[in-house]
Amino acid sequence: MRTLRLLLLLAAVPLPALAQRTVEISGANFRPLPLAYPAAMAQGAGADVTRELDDTLQFDFAAAGIFQLLDRAGYLSAASEGVDAASIKFANWSNVGAEMLIKVQVAETGNGAVRADLRAYNVGSGSEQFKISESGQAANVRRVAHLLADKVYEKLTGEPGPFRSRIAYVRKTGSNKDVFVADWDGKNPKRVTAGGLNLLPALHPDGETVAFTSYMRGRPDLFAQRPGVMPKLLENRGQMATGVAYSPDGKHIAYSLATGESAQIYIALADGSEAKAITNTSAFINSSPSWSPDGKRITFVSNRAGSPQVYVMNWDGSQVRRLTFQGSYNQTPDWSPRGDLIVFTARDERNAFDIFTVHVDSGKISRVTQGQGNNEEACFSPNGRLLLFTSSRGGARELWISTLDGEQQRKLSLERGDYTTPDWAR
Amino acid sequence: MERVAQSAFSGRPSALGRWLVLSLALHVALVGGILALRALSPSPVVKLDPEPIKASLVRLGKPRDQKLLPRKEELLPPPPAAKVAPAPVPAEPPPPAPRPGPALEEEVPAPRPTAKEKPSPDESRKKLLGAFDRLGRTPRAPPEEAEGALDGEVDGDAARQEGDRYLGLVSARVKRHYDVSETISPDKRISLRAEVFIRISRTGDVMDAKLVRASGNDLFDAAVLAAVKRAAPLPPPPALLVNEFQREGVTMVFKP
Repeated sequence: MRTLRLLLLLAAVPLPALAQRTVEISGANFRPLPLAYPAAMAQGAGADVTRELDDTLQFDFAAAGIFQLLDRAGYLSAASEGVDAASIKFANWSNVGAEMLIKVQVAETGNGAVRADLRAYNVGSGSEQFKISESGQAANVRRVAHLLADKVYEKLTGEPGPFRSRIAYVRKTGSNKDVFVADWDGKNPKRVTAGGLNLLPALHPDGETVAFTSYMRGRPDLFAQRPGVMPKLLENRGQMATGVAYSPDGKHIAYSLATGESAQIYIALADGSEAKAITNTSAFINSSPSWSPDGKRITFVSNRAGSPQVYVMNWDGSQVRRLTFQGSYNQTPDWSPRGDLIVFTARDERNAFDIFTVHVDSGKISRVTQGQGNNEEACFSPNGRLLLFTSSRGGARELWISTLDGEQQRKLSLERGDYTTPDWAR
Repeated sequence: MERVAQSAFSGRPSALGRWLVLSLALHVALVGGILALRALSPSPVVKLDPEPIKASLVRLGKPRDQKLLPRKEELLPPPPAAKVAPAPVPAEPPPPAPRPGPALEEEVPAPRPTAKEKPSPDESRKKLLGAFDRLGRTPRAPPEEAEGALDGEVDGDAARQEGDRYLGLVSARVKRHYDVSETISPDKRISLRAEVFIRISRTGDVMDAKLVRASGNDLFDAAVLAAVKRAAPLPPPPALLVNEFQREGVTMVFKP
């Protein structure tokens, strides 16, 4: 019995207390940062200059895809509220749901130059997150605004912003279809071609030179041209040369050349020399090439399986692989600068044209647009976070920018006309 | 003959008793050893995220052909708002007719017991019983040191499971507010990790929320702190674990 008591006593000795509990939480909801950006304040600068800078910044923030720009109509603070932390009532900004507040002041610095000071605040802590100043000529205040927006973007994401990038597109006016290049927001458009029928532009990484198909010689040939400079012929063989695309380093082009019943993908140096076919499917059409970001692979459309589908291959034409198996009419692919996705246009079972992405490795297809008219000819922004495409949701075809999930879409403010086949320099 | 000489009632050593003691000792040693091992082994991190089972009602219909392109989930149109007949404008109520008594019952002052009105013995008994009854029905505050049964184990399974279940509720509540800015680059998201220490009051209020390990990304750190604050008040901890969550708290490890 003594042994039994001893054992029972030992069993009753208190054991170490519980260790502190830990719980792991993952699966964050990534969503655009709620941003309040009240109107830029003029400090000696002209009202027009300040307004132009303000409009430009407002569009950049709204279309960037990383912000949820809060409606100014709901702001609680007075428009005259100061720009330094001491004079800001952060509770007012917090109450409208803002997590970041950006304040901008524009000052004239003489000789037609302006300086814009931007301060970004963390509304929760009421602390200044960063401050940026940029200067430039008042006549070029839009560029100052884009520069500020780019720096904000880079501060927050660590990636270069897309706000100083250039786009190209075709605008139909009357019986002419002309190639234009413009800023990313559609402002500052410059006509490249001089009337006639010009199609499918592709911007060189320099953002100015544009290659396109043109009937300027009576048949569809390939040309390259800078605004205000005479065009250079790149390709005039075959029945039709279309769908030109510059390689990421700008040293090569890929395009489709139709001869007889078929069309093959060709690659050549950027001036059109040393062209060679990299596909050889005599009875089928291969078109719309687009380069991978490392320049080693090409995506294109082919009807070799019976219907137009998206394929990938090495840039020498080897290792051709079909990528899309859903849908019966998939076309105009564009490879993301991030490398992981290819965006394409597809006609769905309701005969609506919409934008889709396909994951290069898994083949998983995601839908970007739906139920908003016909949406076509999408291309990626230089940072791969946005898409530029045409949409007929408002009647005539216009240019729209969208996030990859289609949640945030914004129309470019352009002159009247029918807009097609946009391209984004990268 | 010796056996016969021994009385049946005289004490004699029993082999069964020794075996019983030995068996009991072995059992106690075995149980004690298992408990000691459990207590000394490090507490595992509770990863609750993959565990909750998501249940959703699948819309009745034909399955989508795999050859077709995907469609975005379309919300069903809201049911048409029922036409509500405009509420009749109430006519101006006629002025209340003067009544002999008080106009409203609420306004009747409660009659105060006077010293003259002595309660009868029956009433006293009823009051006394009523008081006991009320006492019985009053929810008792959880005992401060409610650690389980007197003969329970400190690291008993019940407490641990109860804690895990509770942390599951807390995790779900915080996750609803776990919104992180899209500005964080997808490449950087993988390596983010922040830890927030919180103490939880018996009512579920967050008494203390401290960022004990920053991720290096201000936006992510602010987002995890905001998630904890927005999730408050949390579900009240189970009575058995009030002290633990109030004093020792819990560390929340946030990953994207």
